[in-house]
Amino acid sequence: MAKVYTSSVVNAPAAKVWARVRDFNGLPAWHPAIGESRIENGEPADKVGCIRDFRLRNGDRIREQLLGLSDYDMFCTYSILESPMGVENYVATLRLTPVTDGARTFMEWTAEFDCAPEREAELVSNIGTGVFQGGFDALKRQFGG
Amino acid sequence: MARVVKSTIIDAPVDRVWAILRDFNGFDRWLPPIKASAIERHLPADLIGCVRRVQLQDGAEVREQLLGLSDLEMTFSYCLLDTPIPLFNYVAHVRLLPVTDGNRTFWHWEARFTAPASAEADMTHLVAELIFQAGFESMRNNCKALAA
Repeated sequence: MAKVYTSSVVNAPAAKVWARVRDFNGLPAWHPAIGESRIENGEPADKVGCIRDFRLRNGDRIREQLLGLSDYDMFCTYSILESPMGVENYVATLRLTPVTDGARTFMEWTAEFDCAPEREAELVSNIGTGVFQGGFDALKRQFGG
Repeated sequence: MARVVKSTIIDAPVDRVWAILRDFNGFDRWLPPIKASAIERHLPADLIGCVRRVQLQDGAEVREQLLGLSDLEMTFSYCLLDTPIPLFNYVAHVRLLPVTDGNRTFWHWEARFTAPASAEADMTHLVAELIFQAGFESMRNNCKALAA
């Protein structure tokens, strides 16, 4: 099982950052790689079990299911149902923790998945650096550091 | 029951901060209020259940017991056994996490305790500012000095 761990710090209070990232249908509003997104069957985006169907800017289509969402602990867990990435059993969690020293936010994004062994290094790098750090960099730009 | 939660970012790799923090007998090297530290019965400082006897700068003595330590999770927990101040049922947890963006360290330090109602605000200030926040600042300086 491959594991990805990416973490960063953004100069904004956790409640503000969480308000942006908690929307399971809101990736296009803050993640530069995501083009458009919708929730299947017209369900609310914070209904655990709902499925988002979104497209990357490169045209790839991905379907992901919301497995857990907590406004109290500020985390969101989801799995990939369908993607062209060649991953199985993919589960990811985005978690925010307040940094009391300076009203900043510690952001963690983790994933575990199975894949063909020869593709593991490339996938770990693409997901960790491209998707996760790419998202963190965008949040840092949006919140001014 | 009062609860104090403090966290900070240290501009040093997590392994370096953990190497300093995990030494239950080494707080006198970085935590300003602590003058001297010794483990009772000469037990190893990473033996779960060991008790450290700590002398504060003002001469007071505190006994604390190591409840748990994990090098994998980079966490440890300890409780106060004896203290001259009205701080009861005190349990503290330390946790480090790597900040991969910049090879830094996220440090989370929290404590729960009870205190008489008249002393709770003072005890909360003591733990939050004079121990936890002061510890953050001196560890930050410590790591800067090591890097220089």
